[in-house]
Amino acid sequence: MSPEKKVMQEGLWTNNPIFVQVLGICSTLAVTNNLRNTLIMVAGVTFATAMGSLTLSTIKDFMPRKVRMIVQVLVHSFFVIIVDILLRAFLPAASKQLGPYVGLIITNCILMGRAEAFAAGNKPWLSFLDGIANGLGYGWVLVSLAFIREFLGFGSIFGFKVMGDGFTPWTIMVMAPSAFFLVALALWAANTYKAKLGGKK
Amino acid sequence: MKVKKESIGYVVSFTFAVCLVFVLLLAVANQVTLPQVEANKRFARQVAVLKAFGLAKADAARAEVESVYASSVKELKAPGGIGAAYKAEIDGQAYLAVQVTGAGLWGPITAILAADPEVQRIKGMDILDQQETPGLGGRIGEAWFVDQFAGEKVSPEGTVAVRQGSGKGDQDKENSQVDAVTGASRTSDFVQNLVDSALKAIKELGGSL
Repeated sequence: MSPEKKVMQEGLWTNNPIFVQVLGICSTLAVTNNLRNTLIMVAGVTFATAMGSLTLSTIKDFMPRKVRMIVQVLVHSFFVIIVDILLRAFLPAASKQLGPYVGLIITNCILMGRAEAFAAGNKPWLSFLDGIANGLGYGWVLVSLAFIREFLGFGSIFGFKVMGDGFTPWTIMVMAPSAFFLVALALWAANTYKAKLGGKK
Repeated sequence: MKVKKESIGYVVSFTFAVCLVFVLLLAVANQVTLPQVEANKRFARQVAVLKAFGLAKADAARAEVESVYASSVKELKAPGGIGAAYKAEIDGQAYLAVQVTGAGLWGPITAILAADPEVQRIKGMDILDQQETPGLGGRIGEAWFVDQFAGEKVSPEGTVAVRQGSGKGDQDKENSQVDAVTGASRTSDFVQNLVDSALKAIKELGGSL
């Protein structure tokens, strides 16, 4: 398997940031009650992880170990603030709704996790791909959760009403506790499935 | 001579250089998008003012909002302590609106509130900016909450109470009372203070015109 393919497969499934690394759970709980915000969040995290890993991997040979973490945080903050600035300028409504969560991408453990675990020891191009793969791996789980939560919580998909007027929204799906249940169920399902696959080998 | 990567001099200059480069880039990005951000803010404020006056149409395009705003809202000179003041004539009746900022739970809350100059009834209200807890206090920005204020009668003391209620919104326009947000008592208190200060400001403004 080519290293590119391996990196993609790990991010999306075998080493999925949510299912296996259990990173970035805070934002999984916070922004998944509506698909549009989830997609913006995923795009932000993917962009920041990929660009951050790319930059850090490029400068890693010049970086003293003592200030490694400070520089990682600085680089990630830079890309996150860029995302925030772009949102404020071009998607003001989404920026207002996401509010503090965009800034909180900096504290998303996926960013630092990938910088430490991958970008610190790999070539820039692969690190960039690793960032994309992890962003997407995080993304598809979030989007699935958001789909369930928005569908049951609001009776809509991307804000379009799909359920009739007789539908009673499940208010709990809009609130944070439902994300706890759903993330836990998804983790359980994914890991049970994975264990089964492993058992067959 | 080979530079030692772990020497103090190298560490300091490396950190300094990295900070300088990234901060410079950020400053540039911020400057470049500043006009766009300002325009967005102006637009958001115009929408809020039109909402308070009850002139906003749902899903109006930007150009439409700007033309309605330009034709029907007059910006007044704001008295001290008030963010901004507006006047609009609707169906032959003059209404005043003020932009007020007050304390919130996490940060300031800014609202625009419109009423008749004698402050008999609130014309409408909209929250322009708030940083309350998302999902709890943050719900003061939602339509069911702010719409309660439209047409609400102001009490003889010049106040409107934000109280515990059914949780579905108080539809009684005569009781000078609206429903508070469940799970956000403090935020609801702050909104009440803010609304009362806005009503007072409008009364003073109406008296001075």
